[in-house]
Order: sequence, then C-alpha cells, then structure tokens
Amino acid sequence: MTNYLDLSVIELHELLKKKEIKPIDLVEEAFARIEERNDNAFITLNKEEAIRLAKELEEKEIDNLLFGIPVAVKDNILTKDLRTTCASHMLDDFNPVVDATVVEKLKACHAIIIGKTNMDEFAMGSTGETSYFGPSKNPWNQDKVTGGSSSGSASAISSRSVAVALGTDTGGSIRQPASFCGLVGLKPTYGRVSRNGLVAFASSLDQIGPMTKNVSDNAILLSVISGRDERDLTSAHVEVPDYTKFLNQDIKGMKIAVPNYYMSDVIDEEVRSKVEEIIALLKDHGAIVDYVDVHHMEHAISLYQIIALGEASSNLARFDGIRYGHLTERYDNIEDLYKKTRSEGFGREVKRRIMIGSYVLSGDNANIYYKKALKVRKALANSFAHVFENYDLIIGPTNTNVAYDLGTKKDDALKSFYDDILTIPVNMAGLPGMSLPVGFNHEHLPIGMHIIGNYFEEGKIYTLASFIEQQLKLDLKPKEGKTC
Amino acid sequence: MLVPTIGIEVHVELKSKAKVYSNSLNAFSPEANKNMTLIDYGYPGSLPVLNREVIDMALKVCLALNCKINKEMHWDRKNYFYPDLPKGYQITQQDTPIGYDGYLETEVNGKKKKIGIERIHIEEDTCKSIHSIQGTKLNFNRAGVPLIEIVSKPDMENGEEAKAYAETLRSILLYLGISDVKIEEGSMRCDTNVSLREEGSDKLGTKCEIKNIGSISNVARSIDFEIARQTKLLEAGETIKEQTRRFDDSTMETVLMREKETGNDYRYFPEPDIPYVILTDEEIEAVRKELPVLPNELKMKYRETGMSELAMNTVIANPELCAWLENLFTKVNPVITANLLTGDILSYLNKEKISLSDTKLEQSMLQDLVETLDKKEISSKQGKEILEILLTKGGNVKEIRKERGMEQISDDATLRKMITEVIENNPESVEDYKAGRDRAIKYLMGQIMKASKGQANPAKVNTLLVEMLQKY
Repeated sequence: MTNYLDLSVIELHELLKKKEIKPIDLVEEAFARIEERNDNAFITLNKEEAIRLAKELEEKEIDNLLFGIPVAVKDNILTKDLRTTCASHMLDDFNPVVDATVVEKLKACHAIIIGKTNMDEFAMGSTGETSYFGPSKNPWNQDKVTGGSSSGSASAISSRSVAVALGTDTGGSIRQPASFCGLVGLKPTYGRVSRNGLVAFASSLDQIGPMTKNVSDNAILLSVISGRDERDLTSAHVEVPDYTKFLNQDIKGMKIAVPNYYMSDVIDEEVRSKVEEIIALLKDHGAIVDYVDVHHMEHAISLYQIIALGEASSNLARFDGIRYGHLTERYDNIEDLYKKTRSEGFGREVKRRIMIGSYVLSGDNANIYYKKALKVRKALANSFAHVFENYDLIIGPTNTNVAYDLGTKKDDALKSFYDDILTIPVNMAGLPGMSLPVGFNHEHLPIGMHIIGNYFEEGKIYTLASFIEQQLKLDLKPKEGKTC
Repeated sequence: MLVPTIGIEVHVELKSKAKVYSNSLNAFSPEANKNMTLIDYGYPGSLPVLNREVIDMALKVCLALNCKINKEMHWDRKNYFYPDLPKGYQITQQDTPIGYDGYLETEVNGKKKKIGIERIHIEEDTCKSIHSIQGTKLNFNRAGVPLIEIVSKPDMENGEEAKAYAETLRSILLYLGISDVKIEEGSMRCDTNVSLREEGSDKLGTKCEIKNIGSISNVARSIDFEIARQTKLLEAGETIKEQTRRFDDSTMETVLMREKETGNDYRYFPEPDIPYVILTDEEIEAVRKELPVLPNELKMKYRETGMSELAMNTVIANPELCAWLENLFTKVNPVITANLLTGDILSYLNKEKISLSDTKLEQSMLQDLVETLDKKEISSKQGKEILEILLTKGGNVKEIRKERGMEQISDDATLRKMITEVIENNPESVEDYKAGRDRAIKYLMGQIMKASKGQANPAKVNTLLVEMLQKY
C-alpha cells in the first residue's frame, strides 16, 4: 500500500501538479487504509462518489491546494445525498438535501469527501463513546479513547486515512481529541466559519474547524472554510487572510501569557512539565512569557452545563420524528409519539443533557441559572480581553492529561465534563484556540499544548504553532500495531 | 360593585414580501407547502435570517401607537412541543419588545379615551394543521409568516370600549399599509382578557382569556357575555377559575376551552442565532417620516371642512378613497369630493366588486367634475350622469358636457328672452311674487331651468329674474 497520505497538503499538491500521482491514487489509498485500520473512524463512506469524482478531476486543471485532496467531514455537518447521522439512532437514516456552507466550499475546491466521521452522539461527549455506532479507536493505542466529540476525524487523521478533516468544537471537541491523537486541531473564533448546515448543539458556542497532521495543512483548510455567510447571521464580516502567510515567522518579542489556572496541580505532571519545556524554548528564542490570572475560568464547567445544555435542549427539540429522522412505530396520540420517538431515538447522554438543559431554563431557574451564567460568561470574556491588552497569545496544556482507557468515564457523567475545564473557557469567550502536539508521555501518548489567540487573530496562533512545530520536529505518525 | 378590567392582545400578520426568518415568499398560495424553505421546515442545520423589512413595518406600528423603542433588541426562543411548530420553539421577542409603553386614542360615545399599549413585539406564525380522518397534515406556507403582537394595558372596562379600541387599532394598521388586518381571514386575531374586581380595590380578579373572536363586533359581544357570566358566578358566591375560553358565534357565548394549570413553562432564553439588532435614531426618524396621516388626525382635519360624519367615516375606512381625497383636498371642495367618493363612486365599486384603480376614472377627471359642480355650472343630476361616463369610459368633463348638451347658457340676451317667456306664461306666479310669496321665485326658476333643459346658469338666472320681476 502507498503512503501518500503521510505527506502534507502542499507536498501532495506538488505531486498532483507534476502528474506523479492522480487524485484516484489518494482516494484508493484512503479507502484501503480505512479498511486495513478498521478503527471505526467513519460512520458512512462515500466510496463510489469519491472514486467517480477523482476520475472526473483527471480532466480538470489543478487550480488550488485542496484540489483532489481526500478530506473527512464530521457527521454533524450536512452533506447532500450523503447520510448525516450525528452518530445518533435519531438520524441514522437521514440523507440531507443540501450541503453545509463549509462542504460547499470544499466541493468548490474539488476536495474529495471520503466519508463522514464518527463522533459522540450530537457532539455530546469527550471520548467518542456516546456514538450510536460505537467508539472510534485511537491509532496510538487501541485501548485508549480518541477523545471527543470529533473522535472519528481525530482517528482518521492520526491513522493517515485522509489528508485533512473537519471537526466541530463546542467545549473542546476539536482540541481535546487532537491532543489525545497527536494532531493539530483549531477551534476558530466564534463567527469565523459559517455554522449553516452544522446540526446545532449549542448555537452560541459551536464552531467548525480544521483537524490536520501539521500546522500548514491547518492554515490552508481554515483559509478555505472561513468567511461571512449570509445564511448564518452570527458569521463575522471580517476579511479572511491567507493564513499560510503567518507560517514561518519570527517569534522574537512575542508576548505570551500563561494562566496560573492552566498550570495547577490538577494538571498531570508530565503534561505540565512538557508545557514548561516549551515555555523555556520560547523564552530562549526571544518570546516574553509571563504567568497571569484569568478570572472566572474555574466556573467553566458550570457555565457549560447551563449555557450549552440549555441551548441544546432547545436545539434538539426539532427531532420529533414528524418531518425527518426516527419515528416510533406505534403511538396512541401526539404526546405518546413524542415520548416514544425521542426515548428511542436519543442515547443516554443526549437525554441526560436535554433534561439538565430543560431544567436550567425552567421557570425561575432561567433567572437563577441561565441569566446569571450569561453574566459570568461576559465577565470571563472581559477577563480574557484584559490579558489580550498586553499579550499576543495565551498558552497552556490543552487537557489535564493524555488519552485514558476506554470505558473509564462511561458511567460518570460529571467526570467526563472535567476533561474540558481548560478548553471550555475559550468557547465561552468565543476566542480561537488550537491544540498543538508538543511531545509524548512515558507511555508514548501524545501531549497537546493549547494556544489561544485574541478574536480573529488565528494568524498569530499559526505563527507560534509553526515555530514550535519546526523546533520539535516530532514524529507524529503512530507506529503500526504499537500498543505501549 | 364589581368593575370589569379588560386587556386585549392582538396578533397581526404583516404583509412583507418575505417571511420573517427566511427568504421564502410571504404570500397566500392555494397549493400547500409551496412557500417554504428548509428554514421554515426546521431542517437540521438551518439558521434563521432576519428580514429587515419586518423590523421597519413593526417600527411603523410602534411609532403610530406612540411607543418607546427598544433601540437594542434581541430575539428569544419560546420552547414548546406542538406539531405545527417545526423547530420546537417559536422565535419571538420576550425581553426586548421592539416597542413598549405607548397609547392609542379612540372615541367612545363621543368622548375621547386613551388606552395604553403595554408592548409590541415581532414573532413568527406557525404551520397550519389540517385535521382529517386520514390524520393531521401540515401546511408550511404560514410557517414563519411575520406577526406582531400588540398587547394593550388593562385600561378598558366594557365591551364598547374594547370594540372602539379594536376598531381604531384596525384602522391605524390599515393606514400604515403593513397588513390586510382581516379578522375573518386571520390576518388580525384578537384575544381578550376579562376579569372583575371590587370597585375601589387595586387587586385584580382572576382573568379568563377569550380566543377565537371572529369579528370586531364580536369583541364587544364576547366581553359583555363574559362580564355577565363572571358577575353571575361571583354574585352566587363562587370563584372564577383561570380559563381559556372561546367565543361561539352561533350561540354568542363564551365556551370553556381549557383550564389553565400551573402556568405554561416556555423556557424562554435569548435566541443565539440572531445577533442583537441596534436601531439608530436616524433609522427611527426615517421611518417616522414615512408615516402616513393617521385616521384620528384625518378625522380632525375633515371635521373642520364641515364634512358629514358618515362621509368622513366611510372615506377613512377606505384607504384608497382616502388617498384620492387627500390628493384633491387642497385643490377642490373636499366636501363635494368626499360626497362623490363615498356616494356614487363607492356604490359603483361595490356593485362591480372592483377598486378605484380598476375604473377609467382618473384623479384629474374627478377634480374637473368637482370644480364644475362647485361652480354650479351643472346640476347634481348632470354630475351623476357625467360621473357614470367617467367611471366606465373616462373622458374630459368639458367635452362630455358639450356632447350631452350640458353647456351652460350665461349670455344675458338669451337668458332674458327665456325669462320673459316664462314670466308671460305664468301670470299667477308673478302675482304671488308681488304678494310676497317666496315660493313663486323657486317655481319660476324651475320653469326657466326646464325650458333651458338645465343649461341656464342658475346664479345668473336668479339675479336676472329678480331684476325683471321688480320691473314687471
């Protein structure tokens, strides 16, 4: 089997241009690898269409970097005539009649969609285990979780089954699996990427973002999917730069803040010391690094449970079986139809979150919890804004630890939220954040570092990330069959 | 003594080109599910877009009803499950209604009455459920049609006041041109809240809401019935239960729909898919400038001309006629104009079931006709004849008069000859005149006009006749 998908997008582009390879070679390799790996990274494969497209592309002029590049799309992003399930029984037979805006953009570039990736059901989870289709496997170690909710996209990139992938991030769902699987995952600024066609989980937090093997691929993909979309009023009227221009820049004089909260005892020692190593490296190269306080970060989980779940309880109300999706077989009346359809269609975690969300919005609770949470959220955003008055970037670990064993947190709903204590604050503030692989622990499991930028300053994140990437030159391809 | 307290909630369908949260056409279609997009369908991944035209229309209403404006407003989700609600929530404005704290002035039995407006907000209509033996079907043409809800303060005490409020509100909305406001077709829907309290007490009684009121006159009827029903219960020592009732127009009674249980829990929260909308003072003033003269203002203006109440009310109730009157108002006699518009013209329109723009009559023609009538160059009977021609064929007033021999005779010599002839043929009337009987002159005038086939200039004939009789 070939190994073209180990290469970067730019390298693949060069080979395609020189006609040393054809898109069909990449597509065939992708499907062969998926079959060989058997990681349950995909829910639906787009095999026939991808092959047809790849052949069609042979007649076309290669006009952009994503031309003929195999991509994977998380299964909560609508793809026309390609099943989109949200990893839920509720939508296991749902074939969208339209593409999401990001998918339109990928198709316009003639990127080739290989399939729809596995995920936690409706993006609710941080291990991939809440999927109706079962968890994806972590190519670094099959006993470990991939992280979630973008579990399949992380697994597919890590195993080099596709070149680039789209994930979505509501509380850490791109960054946490990127960190667990040793890849580069970016959650863009809220409003950077259109949410049109993304099945909503928490509308004020959700963002679609790139998950890639390296920083350059990430910048290329973000440049393509970003931009104002009249179909999403929350998408920003902010010009989209060519993010690759920010790569390979000097970091001398760059001012970087490290929140004390991110380096507390709660964080695994190996993870912390790896981040400290990076801090030393950055200082050596002329960056200014200070420890700072970002207030209200400690409320992140509470904010998440109130705001994200409140919104989710409303966003998931439309799944009633009447117009699309699962419909129960027998019912006595409309009330019975709702109860049975939703009880059967949704999994345990989704139901738990709908219940919590409904509760926090119910009656007086809306004032006690929801409105108060909005105030704390605003205060947290202000606290970040205060830091960005003096600093270019904020860094720290992406997660408290590395990938853990499958099944560990299955029965502890609260514990799984705690995976996200470092990532949620970024969503709450609407800031861009990246997880960048910076090394491995003693079990050779990847460690991710968090790089957070000011609004619409993804460019600075890329500058720092590409610098670190070049300094470390890590081998981020999991070794075949390795289970340390 | 029990005193009723009445508040009214009015839902009005706006006739914007597109729906409120999608670019789907906002229009009636005989074909089901014709005017809908994936947004109206509540499709996964679809997001609301906000139709700016709707905001301007709602703003017009707020300004016409003297409301304060929320210059920074957001939308909210009202969550509940119902098959006609595809998203499982309605996008409405709970916390920041576009307008609040306004009022409307109306007249009840010739007395002015000011009724407060609590709030005005923008929201979306639901689908239409069509129930049949085969089950329930949904028609999404109505889903997402823009609505404004106008909530009055509980400032009314009887059916008559409520009816006056609803009537005035309807005429204002009609004038703003933002809705068809047809209660019968559902583009205006009135729900009333009725409660009774002891006179002198601040504590309001338990209220009942009345829905399904199909006409403005039923607003008064339903309220009066409800007041009587509640009075009877209270006087019998019973308590009022909070209920939703509907008006049955066959029995003219309100009927129980459902008991209100522990208030509905709509789990309102700010709609995250629609960013805050900021209205600037400039935008608000621009809309204010576009406001037409409103019916209550028109009434004051018309009353000064000496126009009859009937003509005034008829013309105000019909914006098309009113627009014509307004255009001609300073050019020709408005009383004659109004009489023609609300008399022969309106009955012609009603008979033919058409509107003014469908006739051959043009404003310039009407202007000539009124001028001719005002100068008494033709009789009102001739005016009628000419009007009929203008409505059906159009034309020039002067030419029609020429063709029909309606040109006036003002030449002294000709008139004197006619007058002499009539005087000579009616010696007894001359006697009467000399005996001081006024009716003689009217009779002689009539004879002269008859002899001239109505063409003699009546003013001139009158002067000449008196002059000649005195010499006789």
